[in-house]
Amino acid sequence: MSNCCHDDEVTDESGRRPGADDGRGRITIAPLRKAITIALIGNPNAGKTTLFNALTGLRARTANFPGTTIERKLGRLVIGEVNVMLMDLPGLYSLDSGAPEEKVAGDALRGRLAEQRAPDAVMVVVDATNLERNLFLVSQVLELNKPVIVALTMMDVAARDGLRIDVAALRKELGCAVTAVSGRDGTGIEELKAEIVRLIPSGPMAAGHPARASAFPGCAGCSGCAFQARYEWTEKISTRVLDARASRRPVWTDRLDRVFTHPVGGVIVFTAVMLSLFALIFWVAKIPMDLIDHWFAAMGIWAGGMIPRGDLQSLIVNGVIGGVGGILVFLPQICILFFALSLLEDTGYLARAAFVMDKVMRRFGLPGKAFVPLLSAHACAIPAVMATRVIANPRDRLVTILIAPLMTCSARIPVYAMVTALIFPASPIKAALVFTGAYATGVAAALGAALVFRRTILPGGSKPLIMELPQYRVPGLRTALLHTLDRAKVFVKQAGTIILLVSVTLWALSYYPKSAAPPAAAALNVRAAAAEQAGRIQQAADLRAQADRFTRQFALQHSFAGKIGRVIEPVIKPLGYDWQIGIGIISSFAAREVIVSTLSVVYGVGGNGAHGSLYATLRNATRSDGTPIFDVATCASLLVFYILAAQCLSTTAVIRRETNGWKWPLFQIAYMTGLAYVAALIVYQTLRHLA
Amino acid sequence: MNTARQTSANWIPLPDLRPRVCGIVRSVESDDEEALRLKALGVCAGRRVELVRRGDPVILKVFGTRLGLSAALASRVKVEICTPANCLTLNAENP
Repeated sequence: MSNCCHDDEVTDESGRRPGADDGRGRITIAPLRKAITIALIGNPNAGKTTLFNALTGLRARTANFPGTTIERKLGRLVIGEVNVMLMDLPGLYSLDSGAPEEKVAGDALRGRLAEQRAPDAVMVVVDATNLERNLFLVSQVLELNKPVIVALTMMDVAARDGLRIDVAALRKELGCAVTAVSGRDGTGIEELKAEIVRLIPSGPMAAGHPARASAFPGCAGCSGCAFQARYEWTEKISTRVLDARASRRPVWTDRLDRVFTHPVGGVIVFTAVMLSLFALIFWVAKIPMDLIDHWFAAMGIWAGGMIPRGDLQSLIVNGVIGGVGGILVFLPQICILFFALSLLEDTGYLARAAFVMDKVMRRFGLPGKAFVPLLSAHACAIPAVMATRVIANPRDRLVTILIAPLMTCSARIPVYAMVTALIFPASPIKAALVFTGAYATGVAAALGAALVFRRTILPGGSKPLIMELPQYRVPGLRTALLHTLDRAKVFVKQAGTIILLVSVTLWALSYYPKSAAPPAAAALNVRAAAAEQAGRIQQAADLRAQADRFTRQFALQHSFAGKIGRVIEPVIKPLGYDWQIGIGIISSFAAREVIVSTLSVVYGVGGNGAHGSLYATLRNATRSDGTPIFDVATCASLLVFYILAAQCLSTTAVIRRETNGWKWPLFQIAYMTGLAYVAALIVYQTLRHLA
Repeated sequence: MNTARQTSANWIPLPDLRPRVCGIVRSVESDDEEALRLKALGVCAGRRVELVRRGDPVILKVFGTRLGLSAALASRVKVEICTPANCLTLNAENP
């Protein structure tokens, strides 16, 4: 095995039986295929992702580097007889200058990571419009003493800006392969593939590659500023290969930036862009979400008809179909958000948005880049938590993840609607005020929590802004689509499994132990049978429906969930809740909006749970002493509880993935539930004593 | 290197540079994570920079790229205003 390539693991096995039939009548001459791992590295915004997609397309999978939250993508491509594994490393400006992603990338390149061999070669993406800075990373990669291919991107933009690069001269200066490519239109991709094949020796490898450390003499003995020495080297090379005599300032970037980064104009543009983004994920996503909801409801009914009544039917319909539907319903928001964000990032605007918001967000110990995730959290916390990846600093990112679920997401709206309808049934203005107050409470709680975390568990302000503002460009659709697909896959695979598991568990809690139909239901069924015999079909159906309601109410009240509701009643009593609301809180642990349907079952609401009858039933529900349960104090307490409590298992599952462990998601549940409890307690006790 | 010959008297904090005036970075204070990141992005002794927007954060041009930089961080960077003399000196020193 050479230090450059090794035989493919797959053909290794067939290699032990040379001349074996491959099953299609052909004789394989093993080892036929060579396999090579190439690391792809480059500055952010240099076009690395576009190139990775152009080379590997859909044959890529995303995973975290072991033990970190830094993502890597692995993609396969086959060039002739060579199997290439392309490992996409995070975009970075240098190796080993301290940032976590740089450390991981450095370790990956040197083969210091578990579960990942050192790559056989390194492909460095170099932005032709910014040769001098991009060559800095090249100089560090050359010192790794591995075969290096430089992929020169953005040549079209460079030509437009009047920059002429002598690729042959660059090749000579660097002493490694240099190819001009465009991931967008595929120019140069074939040449690049040919360069990859050229890395594979025809015969047994000689003892390694010629050492290239000599290509970079500047740093051998530098003790002072290593950066300065390297930059002098890049400047030297750049002056030799770059003809910038005809260079022009990027006119459009200058013009747009005059507005987009302006203290006033920038904020106006920012507000407009963010409102459009919010409208997309809030209103546009609603259409496919309703469709998915509808499909899964229809599928539940269909499956209910196919499977005989019993445990299996309930498991499939309520546990599995309900659970899967609960996962997939988030997909439209995730897809739309990441598609829009990818386009925005590609245009270069997203960096300006973070730039404009930086000063405001900093007051709360958050970076400017936290704004977009926190805004998205008003539609759904799941894509918001996933979108925090734009924040490079791990602590800044963690604070943003922890507070994002406090924002009012769309799943809270049914709960808000129920509560406002109970308190102010006939006053839309007061109801609107309650809604506004609920949104404001969420934002205030989130920002307050950020300040508290910054003074306690995650001390220090957010990292001062250092961010590249790339040139404006027309965004690439393909990159955006592939990114969207990638995010959707990550969510369904990683979060979906946990959500399904808990959804089935919660189903079991509310289904078992099974209880026989209550006497009242049995009596109703007898009356229904009598009515049927007398030919009063409608009356019989009504009676049966009522019996069914009694049965479900009785079953839920006597299930494990009901028992837990009774157990926690002393704990939630100071908030004004009885054990039946307790069942609602338990069942909505995985998804807060479930409380509405649970309450309608618990209180035996008729008429297919239509909201009008639900509200009427709840308004008439009384405690054992005859006073109404859902008075103003209880409703306000319930509202505050649902604004603040962490009742969304999907979010928990995503936070587990994004923080790489259970510590932070459990902390998030604990602090949000604690906050919700205390706030609801204060609200209830205050209102009760005022009344 | 000619930094030794330069007097630090005409070094000014980066935010004080007038927009569109070329400056040469002379020093970046301290060696913490931010300073390293700045240097990796090219804000490092000897590089020519230009202020595109003043205020907080500032926008800085180094090589062909723009950097958004918080003013506090920018003031840790000391620059010397480019004159034909010192720019030429620098150019001449490049082999």
